[in-house]
Formats: sequence, structure tokens, C-alpha cells
Amino acid sequence: MNTGDDAILQGIGLVKHFGGGGLFSSQTIVHAVDGVSLSVRRGETLAVVGESGCGKSTLGRLLLRLIEPTAGDVLYEGRSILSLDQAEMRRLRRELQIIFQDPFASLNPRMTVGDIVGEPVWLHGLGKGAQRRERVAELLRTVGLLPAHANRYPHEFSGGQRQRIGIARALAGEPKLIVGDEPVSALDVSIQAQIVNLLEDLKERFGLTLVIVAHDLAVIRHMSDRVAVMYLGEIVELSATDDLFDSPLHPYTQALLTAIPIPSPANRKPKPLLQGDVPSPTAPPPGCRFHTRCPHARPLCREQRPLFEAAGDGRHVACHFWREIQNAGAGNISAPPASPALARRMALYKTWRERQDEAANPGR
Amino acid sequence: MIDDAVLQTMRAEPGSRGHSEPEPLLRVQNLSIRFDGAPPGVNVVDDVSFSVAKGKTLCLVGESGCGKSVTALSLMGLLPTPPARIVNGAAHFQGKDLLSLPERERADMRGNRTAMIFQEPMTSLNPAFTVGDQIMEGILRHRKVSKSDARERALDMLQRVRIPAPEKRMRAYPHEMSGGMRQRIMIAMALANEPELLIADEPTTALDVTIQAQIISLIRRLQDESGMAMILITHDLGVVAEVADDVAVMYAGKIVEAGPVEAIFEDPQHPYTIGLMGSVPSLGRRQGRLATIRGTVPPAELMPKGCRFAPRCPFADGRCDAEPPPLTELSPGHWTRCWYAPLEDHRGGTP
Repeated sequence: MNTGDDAILQGIGLVKHFGGGGLFSSQTIVHAVDGVSLSVRRGETLAVVGESGCGKSTLGRLLLRLIEPTAGDVLYEGRSILSLDQAEMRRLRRELQIIFQDPFASLNPRMTVGDIVGEPVWLHGLGKGAQRRERVAELLRTVGLLPAHANRYPHEFSGGQRQRIGIARALAGEPKLIVGDEPVSALDVSIQAQIVNLLEDLKERFGLTLVIVAHDLAVIRHMSDRVAVMYLGEIVELSATDDLFDSPLHPYTQALLTAIPIPSPANRKPKPLLQGDVPSPTAPPPGCRFHTRCPHARPLCREQRPLFEAAGDGRHVACHFWREIQNAGAGNISAPPASPALARRMALYKTWRERQDEAANPGR
Repeated sequence: MIDDAVLQTMRAEPGSRGHSEPEPLLRVQNLSIRFDGAPPGVNVVDDVSFSVAKGKTLCLVGESGCGKSVTALSLMGLLPTPPARIVNGAAHFQGKDLLSLPERERADMRGNRTAMIFQEPMTSLNPAFTVGDQIMEGILRHRKVSKSDARERALDMLQRVRIPAPEKRMRAYPHEMSGGMRQRIMIAMALANEPELLIADEPTTALDVTIQAQIISLIRRLQDESGMAMILITHDLGVVAEVADDVAVMYAGKIVEAGPVEAIFEDPQHPYTIGLMGSVPSLGRRQGRLATIRGTVPPAELMPKGCRFAPRCPFADGRCDAEPPPLTELSPGHWTRCWYAPLEDHRGGTP
């Protein structure tokens, strides 16, 4: 496994099981994350993608030690964060932040926006009184809100603005790495685009490393440098984004890409669809966990768990037969070029849109 | 045959494609719906007209709060009144106006000639009854059949929506199923009486992408088999491109652009439509930053007097702020509500 490349955060053999154990918990064990190793490179945007129940959110929380793993380790800057005590962990939280999917559920409704954003400033001893208020005003401006918003409450804001508040709070401690857990999936399309652009701007401005947990493959292709595809608690493929979308290796990645609706009515065609549902993570299938839905499954897949092996160009895949399957034709999606009329008007729209921003914020 | 009256209705009817098409199955004309307490003149659905022909699919596209679900609920007679009130309009379906039917006739229609499926199947299924009972209930309500015939029909429906082990599933409760399975149950219930019109409100939004693809392909196949018309409400342009015959883009209660699906995707005219397309990342290699639409949909009390999109529109000027633009036909069947369409003619140069 590749540990170099200036890793900022590393998960090593991470396992998280829920249930079992205690007197009052259920007998069944949910295998949410089962032996995941990956390293996040400094300055990159790494996407973790998969369908509901694949363990991607759990993995995001494990990487920040928001929950304790059943087994495995997490290294931040080469040092295990699992051995830190509470006080040390709290100091480290400044550098490792998270943004949640539903900004309303993650903001305290009784606190003003100023207190929500200012709390980490105070908590980490980064400013008091006027200094803190100034810092809050600056943070709100950074995420596209007004300093005057500090006196209002979360319910007075729209979904997109609330997500901006959540981002401002995450930025308050001057973090090095932010995990975004489905940061845009609860938002309307036009708001989604605003937040995606904001995250990209902030990443560049503050030199952040981003880990984006998401299920929207178009957003992932747009934002990320590398993609890890998860299925039932395991990473089945890890590749640079363009490689993954241009030539997916794992049959599950291929199926995911094929399932995306293509926004071009001229290119409608029937497509091979993945059948069935994801099996329950309480009883993951033996061997390769994908074999129950895989169109290429053979007897070996039912018996033996495939290794997560290197596949050249820094790619990794967990499939016994990836060499044969990669040319099976399924998968690689081609986005049709925009029509001349659409291309012309989109260019016009973007030009006028920039002008609109300049008129609103002269000199920025 | 074209006479003035026909032209008149065509004018108000962006859903229809041309004169050669048969009489539409559903024709909605000048539908306006108001919420109590909204400022005067601000309707949540404002002067909306469209039509759907047998076997065809019309997609209503737009973001939250644009009025697409309210439109659908009004057609089903499910609008919560108060606070919502239909203030104008008609919806002709098989010679009847759906909007002015007495409640009894509406109930006979609903789940029978017209049916609706919703985004979140868990909230539309009764957790206390088995799936089989719920499908049978709809059949027994509308048809004079014996209980065993209804069971037979329910089983047949479960097979048609490709539910594995249907006999066993008949006795299952909704909570025992996955989201995709529940949505299949909803579809089986909706189609059990072979409706002529199906309204699907974001039927795949809550589902994972591989399950979404299964459900879309299922709906298309069932539509091919039965020839029913469909109104599909969605915000996902990819889904629209895959299933629509016609598209109506709604913004803040008004249709801002409508036409055949190819026209909307290849020759979009309204700045909102273009902004929406620019907000969705392309599936190809990255092409710079996303285009965005500034701000958010205005609340009712701040609804602009002129074009409702003007405060967010990069092309807007004083005329847009003052006067609401009419829906005009730019090419046959392709309508848009913008003073400056086509944009390259009016906004091509540098101002």
C-alpha cells in the first residue's frame, strides 16, 4: 500500500462494527467499515463515493475520530490520533473539521450565527471580545454572508446560507483538513453550484485538504483529484478522477457510472442495469461482497475475498478479474458535447454573470 | 383543422407540440393557485398552462418552491385548502374539469383513472398494513371484483414491477423493505387500476443512483406497455433528458420555458434554464468553474413586480424589473418568457 506522497491523514486497516456486545444493543452486527486503508494527500480533494449504507459517512467520521474504530489506526501528520487524550484531541480538532449534509440539524437553533461561528474562535483561544467579533465578521464575509448576519438565528436563513454558516464555523479554527459529509446533496441545484464553487475557492485560498463524502458522481468528478469507491464497507477502487471516469476498472464502478442519467436527450439508449439491492451490512456476502450483483461473477468470487491490488498509474482495485473486465465495454460514460446554441448562450451567461458579481462587489 | 379557437388554446399551451397531435389527454389552462396570506397578486402557481397526450411524458422542472408539486397536488385534488386555493384555471381530463369535480367524483378518479407516486415511499405507505393489503385496497375500492381476484391482480402487479418472491412480499410490511423496493410497491399500487395519467413527484430523488436507474427503466417499460400519459416532476436534468417528450421549466410559480425535450436541451432560451444547466457539473472532463445563479428564489412577500427571475438574472435591466414578460413562441412548440430571447441577438455585444 502506498504510504508516501506526503500523506496528511491516513487510515490503516480501519474497521467499525455497530451493535453486538452490550446488554441492550442488538445481537446483529453491522459491518459498516471493514478493513479500509487509505491515505489523504496534502492539498488534494479526495472523494469517497458509494450508495447508502456503504460506510462512506462512517469512514469520514473515523478519519476525524468522531467515533472510535473497532480496529485499525488513524495517523495525522504521521502520528496516531487514537492515542491522544481528550485535551490533546480537542486541540487537534482545530485542524480537522467537518461540514455536515443537513446544515439545519448541525446548527444550534438557540445560538446566534455570531455565537455559532465565534464559539471555536473562543474555544481555541483565538480571540476575545472585539477581536472575536471582528474575526466572525471576516469569516462571514469569507463565505459570502454579511457581517450583520451575526445577530440572526439559523432559522432565518435558507438552506444554502445555512451551509455557508456551517462552513464559516468549520473555518474558524483555521483548519488544515475538512471532511465534507454530503455537503451539497440537500441543496437545490443552483445553490449546490454556489457551495461547490465556494469550497473550491476556500480550498485554494487557505491551502486546505478536502475529503468529500458524496454520492453525486457529477459533483465528484468536478471537484475531486482522486476518488475512492466504497461498497458494503470496503473500498473497491481508488483512482485519479479522470482515470476512474474514463476507464473504470471495478465492475461496481462501471455499474455506478452507467447508471448516471446523461443530460442529452439525443443520446438515449437502453443500458445494462445493475440488478437487485445492496445486501444488508449485517450479513455481507462471503468472498467478494459485490458478487451477488456482479454481471461478471465466477465461482472464485463467491469464495475468496479479492485483494486490493495496485493496477498501475497509482490505481488500486479489489477484483479478481479486473484485467479481463476492464475492456468489457460497460461503464465509461461519454458526456456529449453541448450543442452550438447552448455553448454560445452558456458563454454569454458566464460573461454576464461575472459582470453581475463585479457590479455587486466592486473591486473584489 | 386549424381555427382561431384552436390557435388560441395552442398559444396558451406550451405542452403541445403541433396540430397533428391527437387531442391531449390532459389540458391544463391558466391554472393559478394562491396561498392565504400571500400578498395580493402573488400566486404560488401563476397562469400555468400545459397539456399531455396519451403515452407521452411531460417533465415539470424547477427548484424547491417553484410550484411544481402544488400544481400536481391540485390536479389530484389533494391540495390542502386552506391555505391553498385555486383562484383560476381549468384542467380538462376526459371531458371533465378535474379542478371543479365534487369530492366524491374526485375520489373515484384518484388511484383509478389518475394516480400519483411521491418522493418518499415510506411516508405514503401505511406501516400497519401488509403490502399486499395496501395494493388490494386500491383495487377493491375502484373495481367490482372478488377479494381473491384482487389478490391475483396485486400479485400480478408485484411481478410486473419485478419484485423478487412476490408471494412472500405480499405478506411483508413496508419497514421490512429497502427504499427501492418500497418505491416499486408505490408504483404497483399506482398502476394497479391502469390509470390513464400518472403523476410522479420526484419518484427517484431519495434513491441511490443504481436504484434510480432501475426505477426509471421500470416506469418507462410500464408506460410503453400501457400507453399511459405521465407528468414527471423532477429537478434532475439528467432524468429529464432520459424520459421526457416535453419539458416545462418552472420558476417561482410561472412556466419560464417549455417545449419538446430536444429544443430545451439543445436550444435553451431562458436565462434560468441556461443557469440551471450551468450549475450541474458535466460528466466529462472538468471545464472550469461552475456557472451559478446568484441568490435564491424570492419569498412571496418580496416577489418582484416584473419578471420574477429578474433579481437573479445576469441579463436583466429596467424593463425586466418593471414589466413581466409574456410567454412567447420562438419556434413551433418552443415557448419562453424572456424579453431578450434569443440572448445572442439582444445581449451578444458588450454593453
